[in-house]
Amino acid sequence: MDMSTTEVRPARTSLLSSPALSTVLPWVVLAAIAATLPLYAGGYWGVIATRACVYWVLVAGLNLLVGFAGQLAIGWVALLTVGAYVTSVLAAGNVLPALHPYLALAIAGVAGAVFGVIVGLPALRLRTFYFAITTLGFATIVRQIVLAWASVTGGGVGVPGPVFPAPFDSQWGFYYLCLIFAAVCTWMTANIAGSRFGRALTALRDAEVAAEASGIAKSRLLMVVFLFSGATAAIAGGLFASLQSYITPDAFTTELSVLFFIGVLIGGRGSIIGPLLGTILLTVLPEFAAPLVAWSTFLYAVLLLVIVLAIPGGIAELIDFKNRRPLQSNRAIVPRPDLLKRLLTQDTEPGRLTLEQVALSFGGVRAIDGLDLTINPGQVHGLIGPNGSGKTTTLNVISGYYMPQGGVAKLNGVVITELAHHARAQMRIARTFQTPRIVGEASVLENVMIGGTIDGRGTFVESLLSLPRHRADEKMLHETAMLALSAVGLEQLAGVRADRLQHSELRFIEIARALMLRPAFLLLDEPAAGLSAEEIRRLGALVVAISQAGTGVLLVEHHADLIFDICHHVTVLNLGKMLAAGTPAEIRSHREVVNAYLGG
Amino acid sequence: MPTSAAEPRSAANPPLAVEPLLRVTGLSTGYGKVGVLRGVDLTVAPSEVVALLGPNGAGKTTLLRAISGLLPWTGGVQFAGRDLSGAGPRETVKAGLAHVIEGHRVFTQQSVVDNLLLAAYDLPRGERSARVEEALDYFPEIAEKRHQRAVALSGGQQQMLAVAQGLVQRPRLLMLDEPSAGLSPVLVDRVFDVVRKLRESGTAVLLVEQLIEKALALADRVYALARGSIVLEAATSEADLPHRLEHAYFASAPVPAE
Amino acid sequence: MVLSIVLSGLAIGCIYALIGIAYNVMYSASRVFSFTAGTLGMAGGILGALFILKMGLPVWLGFLLALAGGALLGVVTEILAVRPVLKSLDQHLYVLSTLALALIVQQFAAIEWGTDAQPFPRIFNIERNSFDQQFWLPMLACVVTIVGLEVLYRRTLLGHAFRAIAEDNYAARALGLPERNLRMASYAIAGVIGALAGFAGGQMMLAFFDNATQLTFYGFVPVALGGMGNNRGAVVAGLVLGLFQQAANFLVGGVFASVAVFAAFILVLLARPEGLAGVALGRRV
Repeated sequence: MDMSTTEVRPARTSLLSSPALSTVLPWVVLAAIAATLPLYAGGYWGVIATRACVYWVLVAGLNLLVGFAGQLAIGWVALLTVGAYVTSVLAAGNVLPALHPYLALAIAGVAGAVFGVIVGLPALRLRTFYFAITTLGFATIVRQIVLAWASVTGGGVGVPGPVFPAPFDSQWGFYYLCLIFAAVCTWMTANIAGSRFGRALTALRDAEVAAEASGIAKSRLLMVVFLFSGATAAIAGGLFASLQSYITPDAFTTELSVLFFIGVLIGGRGSIIGPLLGTILLTVLPEFAAPLVAWSTFLYAVLLLVIVLAIPGGIAELIDFKNRRPLQSNRAIVPRPDLLKRLLTQDTEPGRLTLEQVALSFGGVRAIDGLDLTINPGQVHGLIGPNGSGKTTTLNVISGYYMPQGGVAKLNGVVITELAHHARAQMRIARTFQTPRIVGEASVLENVMIGGTIDGRGTFVESLLSLPRHRADEKMLHETAMLALSAVGLEQLAGVRADRLQHSELRFIEIARALMLRPAFLLLDEPAAGLSAEEIRRLGALVVAISQAGTGVLLVEHHADLIFDICHHVTVLNLGKMLAAGTPAEIRSHREVVNAYLGG
Repeated sequence: MPTSAAEPRSAANPPLAVEPLLRVTGLSTGYGKVGVLRGVDLTVAPSEVVALLGPNGAGKTTLLRAISGLLPWTGGVQFAGRDLSGAGPRETVKAGLAHVIEGHRVFTQQSVVDNLLLAAYDLPRGERSARVEEALDYFPEIAEKRHQRAVALSGGQQQMLAVAQGLVQRPRLLMLDEPSAGLSPVLVDRVFDVVRKLRESGTAVLLVEQLIEKALALADRVYALARGSIVLEAATSEADLPHRLEHAYFASAPVPAE
Repeated sequence: MVLSIVLSGLAIGCIYALIGIAYNVMYSASRVFSFTAGTLGMAGGILGALFILKMGLPVWLGFLLALAGGALLGVVTEILAVRPVLKSLDQHLYVLSTLALALIVQQFAAIEWGTDAQPFPRIFNIERNSFDQQFWLPMLACVVTIVGLEVLYRRTLLGHAFRAIAEDNYAARALGLPERNLRMASYAIAGVIGALAGFAGGQMMLAFFDNATQLTFYGFVPVALGGMGNNRGAVVAGLVLGLFQQAANFLVGGVFASVAVFAAFILVLLARPEGLAGVALGRRV
């Protein structure tokens, strides 16, 4: 057992948050090509490049929505339309006195933000497919309104786009304006991607229940992202109108909307560089395949189908060379419980976690029938029982996932039953799940950092602009996560994509993630399932050490051995009621318990 | 020192000279990354009733799913001389192996008769009604409700319907997954009586059960499955079985204090 | 005037209802929604015009070939866009794969058939009157489909098997039902229904590639409002939608009608995400 060092090796983190040269290099190359474009490209390619920049301004924001948050906003061209027309109408002076183009653009951004929230609101209530369809409906409606409201928008005839003042009024000048916007959007979205907000989004996308158990409030975060995406899309609209010089409703087709959407997916979810390359590809492709210009949407759709069926990870997966390197095959998980004391410092006495006369029924079935349970800090409390006895349901009530119909849950005497699911994390109640809920495409370290999301101090805007508090948060979360990973014995896998790991390793990662909350209470849902005998031993030692650091542990398990070995106190459930409670020795010889397990 | 090694057959019950109907060798399977079964060996002879016991989470349901083809597996499964590698449930049913899954899952929106006709889906049209009647003969309680929708049946009756679905297929081996779950003792006895009748008429039965005493009274042989492999194999006539089972379930090596 | 609004409203409502039923049939078979339902409607109209007007085939043959085309499209959807993603853990992939396939077919139609709406043949050589075939053909198609599905699902073993797959896929598999073939057959049936909607509605909607987008949305509204998998709900909701749309068109004009329909749709869904007749789904940990 390694007792010598308490030093933690620095880990290699994923593509997005590492400062290593290999991450920065593609950006440097792209920036160099883009900045020097006028030197070697003709005017025609300048227009293409400008269009790519404009599209990217929209897609960068949409990427956060579709790629990170997993919201299938297929009809986002609605926001492009809003932005284009608001900018053009305000700059042209149809309704009000003509405004300065920059001001018009800014107002368009605000309009886009508002509209983005409106379009996004249904996402909180509707299932995936339903939401996708409603965004399509929005796109159609916006276009019809634009067409009909001829007095303002010029109807089918259209309006001239804004012209930006010198030095951006020439073709290359305008290119540089769009390039600046594109660069700023890239920088901002990359900041978000490497922030707790970006990770929270991917958690909501791939492991929503685990995200909420870590304290992430879905509605608020999604609304912020819809707001941001709406704003960038609208600004892209203003730039688009200027690029086109003259806009009509025909320019804002469903095909264009789908193009943006496909650009994100071809690029790969959870990546910035992938969708950027995807957008460039989609903008440039029709130019190379000149006779096939009319087939461009057809080709995009074929490309999307191929990606979905063959390479769901998109371009980002193709260029992820780091995760192609083979992993060591005989990996052992060697926890270091001595590190827990640095991680789990209790400031105040958390008190006890109790269930009093809790009752919960599903349909006509009483899942929990008048249960009393007390978890004391510093103790391991086992909860066992045959299948269907209500063990996991009890855990779900404590973690706030189910609301009981009768009885209360209390923390330190304060009733907590009514509080929202994601509020449990604030109370330092952490949990793991029966089947590991992780973000497969993110690295192990990023997965663990998700557990500490609520400890961040910086706001979304501070992350957007990479202000000091954001950077302090990231440093803190990084260090804490490495500490947690070392405590469970997986620090050498910190930079690896989580879905490459074995099942047993995922279980320990969930525990590391839970430890990020510095929990007063840790709820473990069948953590030993699928583990080898040796791994169960180490798990047991780890859990004992966690309890010795002051945390109260509730261990729901099937593995009788583990329960009897490490629990201070055991409650046996059968058919939702407590059958017996006492020390492991008492339970083990309890006749009724043995019978309940063996049946009869 | 773990005491979980498979126990040898006693001399009082020599192995049958007949070729086993079902032979499972070294079967391993799981769900995604999680391995559940490791190297399971099991045989069932023609007209034999074999009980498969074990604690929750041991993998009993998983084993039945693998045998009937609902789950992919590695290892060997031979049934009536045929190799079942790569066979799905449709093929195993046609080979004569019926699997009545856990939880009496019948099609609640359809009538009793329709549920049974669905079990006869692959049979020629003319034979279907005859098979349905044959199965209903075993369960007069549901025969009299034949045109009612399955949702109107009690849990126990639904279980009987599920078993009847298996019988429609006239299997050589019928696998039952916890038929007693949620049933009153009276109904459990009814179902077990049917199993006895099946044995008499030449059908073998592989029975996964939680009710140890009743299962031991019914079966010819018993296997105990714990932590993914067989930990006990015995004839039910052997002595001291309940105790040996309990031992096999909870056997473990003591962990030194850290 | 009122009569023509009612007739056109019911007719277009029947078209929407049929597309909704196509959505439902695919959903019942696979537990996923496919973006191809509206495209099937488009295909029915275009294939009908292609075979009868462009290629000069007799009406009955053009009709059968159009339906066959729909069935083929349905089967291709199942094989290419649904089956491969059902196995995956990633829940939203089916949205993307069916969207991609729907776009492929739509764009192909736009390129080969053209982007203008083209005329659709008269099916029966009768004079136009107020109760014209363009109105009663969709209604007839809807009635025939409902009755046909009723007979299929209630009276045939095949229909029972479809219902079994829809109710409990795992139990159906364990029983030995040919679950994959049944799913393919369901998608073929959905293809026929969608193509029938497009063919019967061809005289109202013309042979137009953009019908796909219209029908994708307006064909889904009956599903959303009537409850997933609920065909009767889809018909009622479809008829109401059609009438509402035509009345609004007449009273307040095109744009406001669309906005009104859309607003009503969103509001109903936000109030009851499972639809007016649907069953609320429980969350699971």
